[in-house]
Amino acid sequence: MIDFIQNSVDGIMIGSRYALLAIGFTLIFGVMRRLNLSYGPSIMIGVFVGTFIFIEFKAGWMAVAAATLVGAVIAGIYVERLCFWAIRQGAALASMVSSFAIWMQLEEFVTLSFPDRTYPFPPLTGDVPLKIAGISIQLSYLVMFAMATTLMLALNLALYRTRFGLAVRAVSENPVAARFMGINTSRVIFFAFVVASALGGFAGFLIAANEQQVTPLFGLWATFKGLIAMMLGGMGSVPGAILGGFLLGVIERQATWYLGAEFRDLVAYGLLFVFLAFRPGGLLGQRLAERERLALRRV
Amino acid sequence: MLEVRDIVTAYGKIEALKGVTLSAKENQITCLLGPNGAGKTTLMMTITGILRPRAGSIRFHGDEIAGAPAPQVVKRGIALVPENRLVFADMTVQENLAAGAYLRARDKAGVAEDLERMLTRFPRLRERSTQAAGTLSGGEQQMLAVARALMTRPDLLLMDEPSLGLAPLIVDEIFEIIAELNNDGTSIFLVEQNAHKALEVAHRFYLIEQGKVTFEGTPGDVAEDEVIQRAYLGSGAV
Repeated sequence: MIDFIQNSVDGIMIGSRYALLAIGFTLIFGVMRRLNLSYGPSIMIGVFVGTFIFIEFKAGWMAVAAATLVGAVIAGIYVERLCFWAIRQGAALASMVSSFAIWMQLEEFVTLSFPDRTYPFPPLTGDVPLKIAGISIQLSYLVMFAMATTLMLALNLALYRTRFGLAVRAVSENPVAARFMGINTSRVIFFAFVVASALGGFAGFLIAANEQQVTPLFGLWATFKGLIAMMLGGMGSVPGAILGGFLLGVIERQATWYLGAEFRDLVAYGLLFVFLAFRPGGLLGQRLAERERLALRRV
Repeated sequence: MLEVRDIVTAYGKIEALKGVTLSAKENQITCLLGPNGAGKTTLMMTITGILRPRAGSIRFHGDEIAGAPAPQVVKRGIALVPENRLVFADMTVQENLAAGAYLRARDKAGVAEDLERMLTRFPRLRERSTQAAGTLSGGEQQMLAVARALMTRPDLLLMDEPSLGLAPLIVDEIFEIIAELNNDGTSIFLVEQNAHKALEVAHRFYLIEQGKVTFEGTPGDVAEDEVIQRAYLGSGAV
């Protein structure tokens, strides 16, 4: 039993960074109804900018965090202008395919610029295991969890208490109606991208600081984790993304413990399959989609 | 106030509007009637800037707005109550109204005043002000859509088929509200299929068929039965 609880606690800690990734995906999907396959890679660009200034200038973690964020945001803007803004009204498929192409481009760019297999990344804190109520928690995990949750709360506040958040939610629900309110949907999408990239950049920093290394496979990894977490929680739902992230973290940890490391990804993908087959809206997405359908039916 | 001249709007190769000319005068209710597919909603979309016309001009208060993007059209003082309401189902009634006041957010006092005024004029919205808009009945959603559009403090209110899908009693209520709004000084441009009710409130009306305006007049001037028949059934059936 104690193992189960320990795994759950670890899973929640790890899941918090999946949650941040998922939130970024879901924000972009929410405002544009399109999947951005270059999201993970754009975060990877940020992370490699961070490792670059760590290696070149021996910068401290705050500077590296800032560099990672800026790098991710710039890469995110690049993706948005090229794949989404440029292919406006037309085929959503074209946007997704081009985002896939840019994913390949960004990955190649990183592999060519950073030819070694792995690069160092500064840690956030030392490796200090704490013991709380018989459960051991790594200090670095706890710090990561605290930062991630603070960010999520801040985002929630922004979405529900600010004018910009209102605009994002309006565009996510109904872009045509939003335009009738005078909301500039292009600008909202652009800024949603910036926020999503910043969130992702910070998630990337937390993850890299935890692993204390970065590899060019980070883009792929982040894409899978973020996508799965988002789909588990429900596409287009921020609370869903958070829930999905934590769920994924816990599932992975439990699977690794009880079944072995090889089964970790298998279980995660299996769970995704089950969800897509029986509850494609995800944990929370279904309810929202249901409500929307009912509301439209009243008309 | 609003002068539409020879507007041509097309979807690819299909011309939905083939040169539409009409005008809406200040402080009046102008009504556009027509059968399904005549181009009524396309015209609304063109005026509000969602669609760009291929040719023609739209002048509002003398300024050319044809082809202007939607946020600009709203800024100039034209607000639309869309077909099918299009309320933000997951947001509360209050948030929907706040969305309506999006462009005026800096004028906090004015927006608060208007919010209060909307909730007073539509008591049922006040009752449900913290409910999600998707849980409201059709008639209540229509009222919300109207109130939301009014939050922009428009000079001209466009309404696209406000009676669509509503029970007759509610339709009566909606048209009462339309008449009231006009009495209080709002200029309204109304698109309707329910020619009966529309002709009761309109000062001036146009009939659009297959992308062109085929008739214009004042209610009471002409045999309305013929107009109503054409509006519902198209001129082929008359």
